[in-house]
Amino acid sequence: MKKWIKPFTAMLMAVSLIGGLGGATTASAAKSTEKGKIVINGSSALLPLTLQAASEFKKDNPKVKISASAAGSITGPQSVRKGIADIGAVDWDASKDVPGFKKFDGMVANPVAVTVFTAVVNTNVGVSSLTTKQLQDIFSGKVTNWKDVGGANANIVVVNRKFGSGTRVNFQQKALDGKDFMSKGDNYKEVGSSGDMKTTIETTPNAIGYIDLPYVTSKMKAVSINGVAPTEKNVLNKTYKVWGIGYYMTKGQPTGATKAFIDYIQSSKFQNGSLKKLKFIPLAAVK
Amino acid sequence: MIDMNPSTNSPAQTELGTSIGKAPGSGKWFDRKTRLRWSNKIFRMVCIASASFVCLVLLCILILMLRTGVLTFADVSLNEFFFSTNWDPENEHYGALTFILGTLALTGLTMLMAIPISVIIAVFLAEMTPIWLRQVLRPVLDLLVGIPSVVYGFLGLTILIPWLRDISGRDLADGLLAASIVLTIMVLPTISRISDDAISAVPNKYRDAAYALGTNRFQTVTRVVLPAARSGIMYAIILGMTRAIGETMAVVMVIGNTAQLASSLFTPTAVLTSNIVMQISSVEFDSTWNHGLYMMGFILLAISILMIVIVRLLQKRGDRNV
Repeated sequence: MKKWIKPFTAMLMAVSLIGGLGGATTASAAKSTEKGKIVINGSSALLPLTLQAASEFKKDNPKVKISASAAGSITGPQSVRKGIADIGAVDWDASKDVPGFKKFDGMVANPVAVTVFTAVVNTNVGVSSLTTKQLQDIFSGKVTNWKDVGGANANIVVVNRKFGSGTRVNFQQKALDGKDFMSKGDNYKEVGSSGDMKTTIETTPNAIGYIDLPYVTSKMKAVSINGVAPTEKNVLNKTYKVWGIGYYMTKGQPTGATKAFIDYIQSSKFQNGSLKKLKFIPLAAVK
Repeated sequence: MIDMNPSTNSPAQTELGTSIGKAPGSGKWFDRKTRLRWSNKIFRMVCIASASFVCLVLLCILILMLRTGVLTFADVSLNEFFFSTNWDPENEHYGALTFILGTLALTGLTMLMAIPISVIIAVFLAEMTPIWLRQVLRPVLDLLVGIPSVVYGFLGLTILIPWLRDISGRDLADGLLAASIVLTIMVLPTISRISDDAISAVPNKYRDAAYALGTNRFQTVTRVVLPAARSGIMYAIILGMTRAIGETMAVVMVIGNTAQLASSLFTPTAVLTSNIVMQISSVEFDSTWNHGLYMMGFILLAISILMIVIVRLLQKRGDRNV
């Protein structure tokens, strides 16, 4: 029973699902002999990347079926361990211990992209830059009014990701220097995925939350931290610190179609092409 | 679905048997008579097997949930789990009272809003609408049942909550009221359509008799038709209520998902379903946290079963009085 209840909830929570209809292209277009089925679960921050890579990969490998869903980073390696996913997308290196999460033995972390995380506010908020201290105070509930951090006189609405989110882990470690989040209050709510975070920030006045760059839209504002804007340039010149490497966790070394897919996503063609367009940063750039 | 006269609908067991028994047979070992008897027997077996399969599945689910759930109490005391509101699993606090009360409050509030409205809709549909309008409205209501709950939740998040925020003046209008409005809209078609069927099934002679005694339409509906359709309406309410208790996706989007007791209708809070769906995928398997979530699932099931039993008992008592 436990075996099916998890994919079921994962399916329900999926921001998006892509079906296995890869065989739509003509047979003559088959450039590869790879076939099989790849199931990907985990980080919703990495989902746009996974979906883009999957649709490109399927053009070259029409016999490979890829289905991707996202229910939060920690579900990635957990699904892989339970054998219901081949790839677990996660925003931290899950083969090592991180605060709050034990390492997953026997799994290989394949780095795929650099993800930039940013604090975001609703467009009605006048504040465009916050210091680490101010962020800590806001997210721990010490500061509850925007006027205390240089904005208008309005209550701050704090939107947090649920426990197990990789965006939350990265944001807590790198933007809040490990300080704890608040967990209660009239103006505090939790959401399940990056997609929910996006909708909530867009529709809630005076709201603050955090998300990765590919999800930032014109209906929200990315906040500079300590005066440094969350851009690719600032990550590369090492002034913006809130970023992390996204990994594809596999049980042992990847093989077959899974390996081909990971190789594709790590190839310089994809890294310097679609990946950059989606506002992720190529791995090679930060090394 | 609504069985007003059970005796006429189900032919007595013996009738079936005798009709087959009288069928002329050729005397061969596999003649028409034998074939009929066997196909009859096999059909009966298939029906029984299907019915017991459902019971078996339910029983398995119950046992599995309870078995996994009780493991919680290896680390957490019964007292803490059921009577503490402190749900903070990262720091080993497992008090589920917030969610239990939240579920009861949410269901209660939903029913408070949904029952009157949907019964009025049902009365309107069954008693007052011209036939052409009825033929339009019924399929529309049936279609509403089929809209996925995520859609209701998303509309709640993007339309209802900003609206509630405006009228309440709160910064964050997520909470019990938003969730129960969404749920009310979701269960309205269920309750009103089944009640509508129940009301339509009330024989016309009751209405004729009532009018003959000089009652007006309002009195006929409230004193004669509704009491006569009572068990059907109760049935509709049970179905609506179980949907409201178990509904997850729509609720999780508008309730705020904060493990705190709601001090007002606009305080972000959490219920059993929303907490389970938010956390179950993120939690280590075979951990106390995971077991706690299973236990909460079991409690949810227990609450629905309890409510169904209570309503059934009420219904029986009501039938005796009529």
